[in-house]
Amino acid sequence: MRRALVAFVVVALAAACTAAGPQDRAEVRVMVAGDPEELLAYRAVADAYAAAGGGPVQLLEIEARDALISRLSTAIAAGNPPDLFLLNYRYYGQFREAGALASMQGRLDDSESLDADAFFPAAMEAFRDGGEQTCVPQNAASLVLYYNAGLFADAGIDTPPDDWTWDDMVAAARTLTTDDDGDGTVDVYGLGVEPEIIRVAPFIWSGGGEVVNDDDDPRWLAMDSVKAAVALQAFLELRQFHGVVPTDEEAESEDLETRFLRGGLAMLMESRKVVPTFRTIEGFDWDVAALPRLGPEPVSILHSDAYCMPVDAAHPDEAWRFLEFALGPEGQAITAGAGRTVPSLMSVASSEAFLTPGAEPSNSQVFLDQLTSVRSVPNIARWPEIEDAVNALLEEAFYEPAIAPETPELIAAMQFATDPLFPGG
Amino acid sequence: MVAPGRAGVVRTAALVVVAALFLAPLILLLVGSFRPVGLPPPRVGELLGGPWSLDSYRRLFELVPLAAPALNSLLVAAITVPIGLLVASWAGFAAARLPSRQGAFLAASAVIVLLIPVTSLFVGRLTIFRTAGLTDTLIPLIATSLIGVSPAFVLVFAWSYRRLPSELFDIASEFGLSPLGMWWRVALPLTRGVTAAIAAIAFVLTWNDYLGPLIYVSDQRRATLPLAVGTLAASDGPRQPIMLAGAVIVVVPALAVALVVMRRVSRVAEGRR
Repeated sequence: MRRALVAFVVVALAAACTAAGPQDRAEVRVMVAGDPEELLAYRAVADAYAAAGGGPVQLLEIEARDALISRLSTAIAAGNPPDLFLLNYRYYGQFREAGALASMQGRLDDSESLDADAFFPAAMEAFRDGGEQTCVPQNAASLVLYYNAGLFADAGIDTPPDDWTWDDMVAAARTLTTDDDGDGTVDVYGLGVEPEIIRVAPFIWSGGGEVVNDDDDPRWLAMDSVKAAVALQAFLELRQFHGVVPTDEEAESEDLETRFLRGGLAMLMESRKVVPTFRTIEGFDWDVAALPRLGPEPVSILHSDAYCMPVDAAHPDEAWRFLEFALGPEGQAITAGAGRTVPSLMSVASSEAFLTPGAEPSNSQVFLDQLTSVRSVPNIARWPEIEDAVNALLEEAFYEPAIAPETPELIAAMQFATDPLFPGG
Repeated sequence: MVAPGRAGVVRTAALVVVAALFLAPLILLLVGSFRPVGLPPPRVGELLGGPWSLDSYRRLFELVPLAAPALNSLLVAAITVPIGLLVASWAGFAAARLPSRQGAFLAASAVIVLLIPVTSLFVGRLTIFRTAGLTDTLIPLIATSLIGVSPAFVLVFAWSYRRLPSELFDIASEFGLSPLGMWWRVALPLTRGVTAAIAAIAFVLTWNDYLGPLIYVSDQRRATLPLAVGTLAASDGPRQPIMLAGAVIVVVPALAVALVVMRRVSRVAEGRR
């Protein structure tokens, strides 16, 4: 028994001391973040790449996107970055402006398997810097409207058509907001939307306003125009005047996604990411529709992540080969299978791998249609801080109208809070 | 059989209340892990009576490869706990046997080390391990054994050994026992209960360590069980039973060790071997 114990400890020590062997040193290290299903899809892509003779890939899996930013920053600062990482365009400015990202333009031009024109232009544009492609998008989603078809049918309302206006949506939301048992508490809310700048922006754009002074050279928040103020006021009234969205307490106690899942929400503004969760719904039918328009034209907002390569990646050539596979038809089809992302490659996005006939949402085409009229927020280095500052004020005005300033003062407060965060501020 | 007095009843009631407080999270964890995957999270706490399913455990093994992390955790615990116990016990024995002033100095040193926030040491440790090329191995996780896992264990051992009658060691010395012999033949057998309790706590600390692997290990093949299960933290509401099932898988070995040791300590306390 004692000998067996000693032998176990010796073997254990040997195993514990084993670092990555020489054969492992050419592994591509790829940092990704996501929920378990998403991570499973990334593992499947890495396995398929290895099976296709591409070589080993070590996934550095992070469970949350916030943690990815801090882990990535630390790894880059410590001189030990991954060879590739997946990053949202709203957070990539800080790495680009720090000179931490390698340009992919040359590799893309020389690539035999990837064609820049085969990707959705809006997603490519979000990761371009000075005409150079810095990162290559892995997905290209946008904000859409999810709706509970059962609740619409019960209320005798037609499901959202392609050309839905803001007023149509508000009217439907008012009808669908109900207190079924008459206890004075709303049981079903007509709409769920987070009070965030990325939720308001599409309606500001649709109404003819702007979020910043110049998309290419943003210097200040430009929401002080009448058109932007009208859009912001309409957004705030969803809670303040119409009461069609859950209160602060209700949103804190039960997130909008869960409320939709149990049938307590008729509509929800969200990106593609909730689809795998919503596919578990058995109690009612649901689908997606385009965002309603506040002005003459509907506009949505881009949600996109891309593979980026740090300038001091240890294995840039091997990393690029993996990127070519992951963003090629086979890799993107595997990722699309998880249902969480909209492929950035147009051919895969319009194939059954994404549209998946028979699976909800049946109107996945809307994600592709919206990409023709989608816009992006700026990707400057301090944009995440600008979002945080604006969102804090927006949330207070949305949920606490009694203590919040009027819309013009609110916009002024937003500008005051964000001016120092813009370039030259 | 003597009927329990009022004090006994109060004591028993207090013990039941305390036990219930500690058991409640465990029960909620277990019950939650058997909730069918795909249902919206309950709006109020659920105990019994809800739908039951093993689906979360099936999905858990599909989503997270657990075999390698479990083996890594086992390796780390199997090496760290015995070495850590040995180091802590030796250090405690030395502190107890030294003259009062030096012993007090050692004990005070252990207290000071204990007061230093562990997080403040991570950068320095990471630099050392990186320079030595030991990150992405299990060595940094095992290295805590060289300080006895925790300075608190050194203190507990020191106090335990100091409580033993010094005459015992005088006699042992007259019989020609070396300090090592005194530790092995006198001190250790007389503090079996304390040793078992510290072993259990050391196992739980090592087994549940999340921060260490998070910092020193980025290679998924070297991930320990808490780190692997941690990837489920981003699970959405309907998939929370999977995350809870993962937590159950992590908790069960620690719970089993705690129960075994508790039984052992009870036997020692009752004077049985």
